[in-house]
Amino acid sequence: MLTKFETKSNRVKGLSFHSKRPWILASLHSGVIQLWDYRMGTLIDRFDEHDGPVRGVHFHQSQPLFVSGGDDYKIKIWRMNDTKAWEVDTLRGHMNNVSCVLFHARQDIIVSNSEDKSIRVWDATKRTGLQTFRREHDRFWILGCHPEMNLLAAGHDSGMIVFKLERERPAFSVSGDSLYFVKDRFLRFYDYTSQKDTQILPIRRPGSISLNQGPRTLCYSPTENAILICSDVDGGSYELYIIPKDSITRGDTVQEAKRGVGGSAVFVARNRFAVLEKSTNQVLVKNLKNEIVKKSALPVAADAIFYAGTGNLLCRAEDRVFIFDLQQRLVLGDLQTSFVRYVVWSSDMESVALLSKHSIIIADKKLVHRCTLHETIRVKSGSWDDNGVFIYTTLTHIKYCLPNGDSGIIKTLDVPVYITKIFGNTLFYLDRDGKNRPIVIDSTEYVFKLSLLKKRFDHVMSMIRNSELCGQAMIAYLQQKGFPEVALHFVKDERTRFNLALESGNIQIAVASAKEIDEKDHWYRLGVEALRQGNSGIVEYAYQRTKNFERLSFLYLITGNLDKLSKMMKISEVKNDVMGQFHNALYLGDVQERIKILVNAGHLHLAYATAKTHGLNDIVEDLADKLNGSVPNLPSGRSSSLLICPTPVLCGGDWPLLRTMKGIFEGGLDNAGKGGNEEYEDAADADWGEELDIVDVENIQNGDISMVPDDEEAHEDNEEGGWDLEDLELPPDVETPKAATSRSSVFVAPTAGMPVSQIWVQKSSLAAEHAAAGNFDTAMRLLSRQLGIKNFTPLKSLFIDLHMGSHSYLRAFSSAPLISLAIERGWSESASPNVRAPPALVFSFSQLEEKLKAGYKATTTGKFTEALRLFLSILHTIPLIVVESRREVDEVKELIIIVKEYVLGLQMELKRRELRDNPVRQQELAAYFTHCNLQLPHLRLALMNAMTVCYKAGNLITASNFARRLLETNPTAENQTKTARSVMQAAERNMKDSTQLNYDFRNPFVVCGATYVPIYRGQKDVLCPGRIRCFRLTVFSSSDQMIHKSFLQSYQSQFFSLNVSGFRSRVEDFCLVADVLCCYIREPITLNCRLDFGYEFSFWRFDIQIFVFLEFVEIWCRLKTVTVVWHSQSGVGL
Amino acid sequence: MAMAPDVLFNLRNNFYLGAYQAAINNSDVPNLSEEDAIERDCLVYRSYIAIGSYQLVINEVDSSAATPLQAVKLLALYLFSPDSKENAISSIREWLGDAAIGNNPILRLIAGTIFMHEQDYNEALKYTNAGGTMELYALNVHIFLKMNRSDYAEKQLRVMQQMDEDHTLTQLATAWLNLAVGGSKIQEAYLIFQDFSEKYQMTSLILNGKAVCCMHMGNFDEAESFLLEALNKDAKDQETLANLVVCSLHLGKPSARFLSQLKLSDPEHTLVKRGLTAEENFDRAMQTVG
Repeated sequence: MLTKFETKSNRVKGLSFHSKRPWILASLHSGVIQLWDYRMGTLIDRFDEHDGPVRGVHFHQSQPLFVSGGDDYKIKIWRMNDTKAWEVDTLRGHMNNVSCVLFHARQDIIVSNSEDKSIRVWDATKRTGLQTFRREHDRFWILGCHPEMNLLAAGHDSGMIVFKLERERPAFSVSGDSLYFVKDRFLRFYDYTSQKDTQILPIRRPGSISLNQGPRTLCYSPTENAILICSDVDGGSYELYIIPKDSITRGDTVQEAKRGVGGSAVFVARNRFAVLEKSTNQVLVKNLKNEIVKKSALPVAADAIFYAGTGNLLCRAEDRVFIFDLQQRLVLGDLQTSFVRYVVWSSDMESVALLSKHSIIIADKKLVHRCTLHETIRVKSGSWDDNGVFIYTTLTHIKYCLPNGDSGIIKTLDVPVYITKIFGNTLFYLDRDGKNRPIVIDSTEYVFKLSLLKKRFDHVMSMIRNSELCGQAMIAYLQQKGFPEVALHFVKDERTRFNLALESGNIQIAVASAKEIDEKDHWYRLGVEALRQGNSGIVEYAYQRTKNFERLSFLYLITGNLDKLSKMMKISEVKNDVMGQFHNALYLGDVQERIKILVNAGHLHLAYATAKTHGLNDIVEDLADKLNGSVPNLPSGRSSSLLICPTPVLCGGDWPLLRTMKGIFEGGLDNAGKGGNEEYEDAADADWGEELDIVDVENIQNGDISMVPDDEEAHEDNEEGGWDLEDLELPPDVETPKAATSRSSVFVAPTAGMPVSQIWVQKSSLAAEHAAAGNFDTAMRLLSRQLGIKNFTPLKSLFIDLHMGSHSYLRAFSSAPLISLAIERGWSESASPNVRAPPALVFSFSQLEEKLKAGYKATTTGKFTEALRLFLSILHTIPLIVVESRREVDEVKELIIIVKEYVLGLQMELKRRELRDNPVRQQELAAYFTHCNLQLPHLRLALMNAMTVCYKAGNLITASNFARRLLETNPTAENQTKTARSVMQAAERNMKDSTQLNYDFRNPFVVCGATYVPIYRGQKDVLCPGRIRCFRLTVFSSSDQMIHKSFLQSYQSQFFSLNVSGFRSRVEDFCLVADVLCCYIREPITLNCRLDFGYEFSFWRFDIQIFVFLEFVEIWCRLKTVTVVWHSQSGVGL
Repeated sequence: MAMAPDVLFNLRNNFYLGAYQAAINNSDVPNLSEEDAIERDCLVYRSYIAIGSYQLVINEVDSSAATPLQAVKLLALYLFSPDSKENAISSIREWLGDAAIGNNPILRLIAGTIFMHEQDYNEALKYTNAGGTMELYALNVHIFLKMNRSDYAEKQLRVMQQMDEDHTLTQLATAWLNLAVGGSKIQEAYLIFQDFSEKYQMTSLILNGKAVCCMHMGNFDEAESFLLEALNKDAKDQETLANLVVCSLHLGKPSARFLSQLKLSDPEHTLVKRGLTAEENFDRAMQTVG
């Protein structure tokens, strides 16, 4: 012993080192406490405040404090500075000598014990008693405190106890991908995906002073974004916090939570939570305002409730748990359990794990018992993984439990953790410091076992192939669980392999192993198994290997293999095995042989009897001679004859077997290579698919030139103020209700309100919306006025679709008529109720885009009729499209232009195909087609087409012109380039056109949509064959750019329609209108339009023959001033 | 406030949520009081009516049966064929005038239902407006919604909420009203149907409810998936077919097949009629406008 320092003090009973300074406290029997500096060897101070012996002294770990306790039943707290110390307070409460006192290592508390058989806990700051733990008979003598962990120990008369004062499990609740938990008086939020931990709001400190008053459970409601925190305050109470929408308040201001008393509280439905009132054994259902909505008495006294699905509670009674339906007030299921501490539901709410201190019970949602696990170490937490495996922790391990109750260890733990969630093989847990941590666990074993259990043999196989899970334990498991054939694939050791092969009846592997082992015992067992399976080949082989001749002979006998049986007889003879030889002779029915053997063996009497019985008289006599007359007496009266052997029923071969499971494992594992091939083939297929898609992709890109429709913004139909949108916000039934409400004594039925469709009609000036409301006449008038549409027949189905799609149907009260509900468009979460929005229309611009793509595709594949139908239907639908923005208006216009070109082109192409006997016209139409504004791939096809037609007709110059144009597009297809090149070469050799076409590609032209003749630039009009006058018009737009448009009237064609509701019509728009007209005007039509010329917002209304109107536009454009306001109702010209 | 277990809860719930066959199949509840037994029979017969087995109800309910059952039989007669309509209406008027039975809630409920079919809402309300049972209040909500008077419907609903906010009918009626007033309320309606689907057997009524909510929120793809699920459950459900027609129209998908199925299974359906009148309207409008 190296003594550093020694004092002369009388009967020192307690000692305590200061953690940093060279100080030591000594408490004496006399009641004096001495504070020594052991380095200087000086007494710093002495305190004589205790009355009687002081047994315990203890320095605080960090603060300048110490405590002492003595036989005066008092505990004194002392504060000190560098020079002195003084008593701060005295804690009174012990009823006998204080044995020991100390500061808690992690909490701001003082713990003391005493001969009064109690341990007392004191608040070190407030210096008040927090709690007392008493024992009946044992006086306490000593206390110990763990330096780091939250553990204390106390020694008493008959033993010692290790204990802790407060729960360390953080209260938490998992909701989707996030976790809500309490740490240090704050509710926090942890996002599993980002692994971010955020403080949400501060929660109230418990008002009470005693221990273990912190949050015990936490329940989160995702629909209400609210949490319920339960604690033991006031003998069980809850607090309800609403998490603010914008979340995350960093401040310390505690939200005024709604509170209540109750054993436990959980959310049970939207705006509902249940509180257990233990005193009356009732469940109070409350809403978020903390008002009682309903009370339900529980049939069995419960001391805690847990969530169990909407409207259901899982209640814990003394020896059982049960599920109680709050609405039906019925018990849906119950289960005997030990005291359940935690309840963990699987995410689909189909399974529940009930965690007790030393057991886990897995049950289904009706509490039907599935399995029970017993643990010697305390169970701490658990969570369900996505596959239905329950992963749980004990104090020392992370373990799994499969649905069938199999369990195993995943990982050992140093400190207890609380699992909150599992994603794949990442496990998230909360530690005792309230920190969230992810760890990756090795899930191979349980996933494998689960796959086995679920008979997902494909998984099993791929796991066997890919991973190195093996070992005796796994083999034993497989064997025990009845999967020897699976185990077979793990094992290298031949003996085990042999055993497993036999067990799983896999004779091939057994034979292979037996060959390797080559031991008699194994051959024998192989033989037995093969015999059982009727595999006589293997049986024979096994018997041969073991040289088991007797069995072999018998095998040959029963399989009727007489040749081999004779061989066996010979072998016996060679081996001098008389018995064997005799047996074989007997099996063969060879009487002579038997007699021979008997004779050779010296059994002459027997030989005689045998010969006699079988009527072999020669031999009988022979033998009689040899026996010298002493022949045995044989029973008479039987005719003797030779044995005739029956023909064997089955000659060799194996017995037929039922197909076994071989396929799955054997096949699977052996065919690994083959499988790979298949995958390769699949991949090839996929490539094909993609290649086909390329065409699509191209189309999409092309389609992206983009286009879309509109309505309101550009709307300017203010001829009637009633169409204005501003004054339409009136709630539907404002006027009527008042009448009825005042009179309540006599019931008067209210007048019916206004149907939503009527409101639509009132509010809207869009034809489509009127059509949706079913007001077809107003819809038609609108179209007629806005767009000049006269022929509505093609719109019929569109109108009807709009109307049919305007309402949904709700079966409300049984057997009563349906309620039709108006479907409105532009719904948003924040839309106010009772304010009617316009109808949701069944036609949308995006649908048209789809149609356009389909049209492109049909064009690409050469289905021109189909393509034309699609493009025309786009044009028909456009008047009924409603769009929301100016941009979309432009897109609609663009769509019209694109579609117009295609319609014209396709009509010409279809026409061309009709004209088989008119090669000139054919060439012309093919040539015009190439001047339609088409997508590049289509243009190439059109050029190819025209080139081919002209080349065949001997018009080489024209053909080479198309070839040149084709090459200018840089065609992607090799054959196109090649053909074009060769056409050009051919043309160079022979520059001539054999026929004259009405086609001058150098001179810009447009094509008449009715007669398909070109109108070249500069040509004012053309008289087409027939009676139609076609126009060409040059129009200057407001920006002075030249725009060339041709306005044509045509004789037939369907109808004219053009929408663009509330078009802000400038001259260009008119050109556009007229452009469309060229394709679709049937008769000399009446155009009904309004014009907004320039900035002056003047409106004109024209009811004129179109050409008159167009000429007017021309005049106007030339003059660039507007001087004429012209109006005509009659349709008669200027 | 704590009450005895509600033995007919499941039966009632199944009926309200459209699980009619389940209601019929699970109607064998032991130890019913006489009153409960009558209610049970009413629910079972009304379930049969809901699945169109009118004849069964007409045959099984004989003249000795209790008033509520007689009333249910009248409903079956009314719905059975156009010929029996007049008879049913005159009988029910007669009974309603009878002081002894005229106040029977089931009788009034049936009267309300029949007059709703007659589109005589004033007459319907004459018998139902006093309310009294959850069903009568729910029917009132329904009538007011048919009349486009959501303000009145809301008042009825408030009465229901005061009686039992968590009652299935209260929840359902809330969803109806929410759908009718639209806007942000549609989401609440969706949540109600969502709650039902989590808690109870999935029925085409619930699926249609969800689908209708989706449609009103502009989410036609999701609506379609619910409706197809409903179609899987019952390929002839008229409501499902009608909503599928509407939904397909909005998705730009072919709807003609659903419509012809609907025409087969219910030629009188609102949607079918809507289509027919629309055609007539169109032709008429063509003449006037053209």
